Amino acid sequence: MTMIELRDIRKVFHAGKSYALTAVDGVSLSLDARKVTVLRGPSGSGKTTLLSLVGCMARPSEGRIMLGDREITSLPERFLTEIRRTTFGFIFQQFNLVKGISALENVMLPAYPLGEPHAGLRKRARELMDLFGILPRESSRAEWLSGGEAQRTAIARALINDPPVIIADEPTAHLDTKLSREFMDIIARLKAAQKTVIIASHDPLVYESAVIDRVVTMRDGKLAAEQQ
Amino acid sequence: MILHPAIIALLVSSALMSALVLYSSWYGVLILRHWDLGSGSGLQLDLERRTYLISTVLAYVFGFQLISLFLLIYTADNLCSLFTGAMCAAGTFNVNGYGYPLLLLKILNFILAGLWLIVNHADNRAYDYPLIRKKYAMLLGLTPLIVLEAVLQFLYFQGLRPDVITSCCGSLFSVNSPSVAGDLAALPAAPMKAVFAVSMAATILLGIRVAARGRGGYLFAVAAGLSFLVGIASVLSFLSIAVYELPTHHCPFCFLQKEYGYIGYLVYITLLGGAVAGMGEGLLMPFRGIASLAGIIPPLQKRLAVLSLVFYSSFTLLSIVILQRSNLVQ
Repeated sequence: MTMIELRDIRKVFHAGKSYALTAVDGVSLSLDARKVTVLRGPSGSGKTTLLSLVGCMARPSEGRIMLGDREITSLPERFLTEIRRTTFGFIFQQFNLVKGISALENVMLPAYPLGEPHAGLRKRARELMDLFGILPRESSRAEWLSGGEAQRTAIARALINDPPVIIADEPTAHLDTKLSREFMDIIARLKAAQKTVIIASHDPLVYESAVIDRVVTMRDGKLAAEQQ
Repeated sequence: MILHPAIIALLVSSALMSALVLYSSWYGVLILRHWDLGSGSGLQLDLERRTYLISTVLAYVFGFQLISLFLLIYTADNLCSLFTGAMCAAGTFNVNGYGYPLLLLKILNFILAGLWLIVNHADNRAYDYPLIRKKYAMLLGLTPLIVLEAVLQFLYFQGLRPDVITSCCGSLFSVNSPSVAGDLAALPAAPMKAVFAVSMAATILLGIRVAARGRGGYLFAVAAGLSFLVGIASVLSFLSIAVYELPTHHCPFCFLQKEYGYIGYLVYITLLGGAVAGMGEGLLMPFRGIASLAGIIPPLQKRLAVLSLVFYSSFTLLSIVILQRSNLVQ
């Protein structure tokens, strides 16, 4: 079943200027639900831009994106915020944990705008941290976490609102081989939990992993090749 | 022209408002001609993004449009000491032929701007821009009026000369004055009070019905609009003379002064607020059937009906207090 459909997506930065840059150029793609898809390609191929468009963090210059049967590119910002909050969980390349607050608070952060009772939210966040083996570090500040702990905290944070889609941008870029394999084990668990996962990566450890259902190769903002 | 700070501020602000409304109208034309939500073209996506900017800009422009009516009246009242014969804003507006047309246009624009803000608010709450063509068509109708207001305001202020001898409010709003104002002032107090009582009671009862049951929206909107006219006529006919305790003084401006506790501002704010909210409630009636507005318009209409009720009830109560406290026997 198609979860996300991109129709002739084009994204131009600084449109109309002499230094305009076409990051994504006429991409049409259907992404199935409960599958793990990797967008592969060299730096500058448009993977991250495409991920940000799918995750409603940016708007395309042309084209439409369907989420299920709902067209989302025309939605006013307030509706996009709601979709981002309830549909997508984001894992960033730099993890983007908020320094100065604890790992537990970082995990709870995306759920604060929903106004859920604090006790229930805290319990859920601790359960997620326990699932990823980082509960002993719950009160450690974000800047005190090791690379692997920071990564798992970021994953727990992405899951706090129980989103059906997980988006990860170069998640293993700053990890060694052991931690990268651990990350792919977590992806396998997410897949088993019926999550749709979309990863942008040029790391062979990621796109050659057995857990991956589909690899889409990008080059110069266009789809170059595909393998199932 | 008199280079008074308030005049300069009003001229600059009206020029800015005109420029912003003209800029927005250009995109309004593009939206009316090219808007197609089914298309993923670059132009369509650009218009979708642009409409946030335009909507935000216009919300501020029209918000200021509402305030600027009172700023103009306050300025006119403040300047009256400069003109021989003027005792309040009535005399200042009469210094040249542009004053009263400007005031009437500003009142009309106040109402239309308020209605546009209501439609814009409803449109912004839905996910698929259901009223976008209608609100930009409204904007294209409103733009010439905003620009005309700026032109009239410039001509009015440009023609203000301290050596002009103007008429005082006593003669302008005299029962013997051969004008609409004079005719309204000459309306007999007792029948006018009855019309006032029936009009306000009917509007309040219809408003309660709309707020409670969500029915009779069109009727309430018409009643709210008529009550505004009745309210203005009541001010000229019997409320003004009750405030001043002078049976011949029908001025609708003097009670805006400190001497009368600025009570006139409260009277006009409640009247205009009641009219805009009530008519806005009716303006939304045809859009109740739009799927994406089905859960948005009824609660919004209810809030507008309650708001209009609060304004008209306050106006009625204020009028009763004025009549009760007055030593004038009518």
